[in-house]
Amino acid sequence: MNHVALCGAGVSVETADGNLRTILKPTTVELTEQRIAVIGANGSGKSTLLRLLNSLMLPSSGTVTINGLDTRTQGRAVRRQVGFVFTDPLSQLVMPTPLEDIELSLRRVHKSAPERRSAAAGVLEQYGLGALAANSIYELSGGERQLVALATVLAVQPRLLVLDEPSTLLDLRNSRLLRSRLAALPQQLIMATHDLELAQDCTRALVVDDGAIVFDGPAADAVARYRRMYS
Amino acid sequence: MRGHAHLIAGYVPGTSWLHRSPLWLKAVLLLIVTVLCFATGDVYVTTAVLAAVVVLHFVAGLPPGRLWRPVRLMLVFLLLIGAYQYWQSGPLTAWRVVAGILAAVLASNALTATTTVAALLDGLVKAVRPLRRFGADPERFALTVSLMLRSIPFIIGAFDDVRDAARARGLERNLRARTLPVLIGTVAYARATGEALAARGLGDAEDRRVGGAGD
Ligand SMILES: Nc1ncnc2c1ncn2[C@@H]1O[C@H](COP(=O)(O)OP(=O)(O)OP(=O)(O)O)[C@@H](O)[C@H]1O
Ligand SMILES: [Mg+2]
Repeated sequence: MNHVALCGAGVSVETADGNLRTILKPTTVELTEQRIAVIGANGSGKSTLLRLLNSLMLPSSGTVTINGLDTRTQGRAVRRQVGFVFTDPLSQLVMPTPLEDIELSLRRVHKSAPERRSAAAGVLEQYGLGALAANSIYELSGGERQLVALATVLAVQPRLLVLDEPSTLLDLRNSRLLRSRLAALPQQLIMATHDLELAQDCTRALVVDDGAIVFDGPAADAVARYRRMYS
Repeated sequence: MRGHAHLIAGYVPGTSWLHRSPLWLKAVLLLIVTVLCFATGDVYVTTAVLAAVVVLHFVAGLPPGRLWRPVRLMLVFLLLIGAYQYWQSGPLTAWRVVAGILAAVLASNALTATTTVAALLDGLVKAVRPLRRFGADPERFALTVSLMLRSIPFIIGAFDDVRDAARARGLERNLRARTLPVLIGTVAYARATGEALAARGLGDAEDRRVGGAGD
């Protein structure tokens, strides 16, 4: 089990006119459940919260630790434990084909090219994507692309998977497919989503509003609370 | 906008002799082609080399379209060079220069068509490895090159999209409406890519500790 902790972690950014703007108020929270959703309106601070977990963003105050590793001073080690899936898989896939992209993920793990290749093929098979190995990533459907992006991150076996609106660009069928794939993963998942079905799959959910966590509890209650906020 | 990958995305799967040859051999052949065309200055040699490259293309089982594509992209450029050389030095020189350029381009085309990007990267890593003691990081270098390759179709696609959008608004003659969005889109794309790489830990230096957090 992972121990993810924000301790007074807040984020302020400098705006164009030189003022400081708080986009996440100092937050203290421990995230240990296997499935945690983060819901909230556009611009409420969901992505900011998630980006702190992978040291993509550093807190301006307080600390963020993942299994005791401080994201500020041990960013590299943190990134090895925390996989991050973005909304748009095309911004995440770098190589022309799924196989090559997974090989890229595995460069640090396998030094020999043939080993790397067969390991990458194995990863694709494992996630049911073997048939797409040599296709151009540009020719995959949106759903296939997101599953490939997920596989490139899972290839290095992160202990924690953070997902920022993984189903936003997907149609109903593909977001259901993604949901079932995510449900089958052994890792801890923390995901921001506007997809309330996906949120309901979680055990715990945080509702974020205007840079602060305004509700924290069972997912069903969080979703109900979120619906009430906008009715 | 991303449908333009086919312009560059080069690898044509196959099992031909050329596909199976090691990268270094292909690189040496490419070098020989280039040297023969540009160092000898002999029109017969150049013509023969061009013919050999074309034969090689088909021996490798590559489709004819793949031969024509780089030619089409460079057509205007080739015609201009050819016309200039014709005017300056006559038909033989014009042919020698154009054929030489064609041979070199088609040879590199054959190389990229028969080598996966992953294999190219491995080759680059090996080639740069001796520079390690001067502080080079071969993995990073290879990653940079692959990112560059990937960005080309994106930028071409962005130009097309923006042209269509400008046309839809009746602004097709407005230079700013046609270039500024490409610039902004490209910067946003570069940021998103950089961030995704950082998230995957791929930008991290392998054996040097970079100072500061969030390296
Ligand atoms: N690097 C930055 N510089 C300035 N402002 C930022 C930066 N990153 C985020 N913001 C601002 O912080 C606020 C929260 O952004 P964030 O991306 O966390 O929202 P979100 O909840 O993920 O929204 P969405 O649902 O639209 O993805 C927004 O108003 C955004 O404009
Ligand atoms: Mg967001």
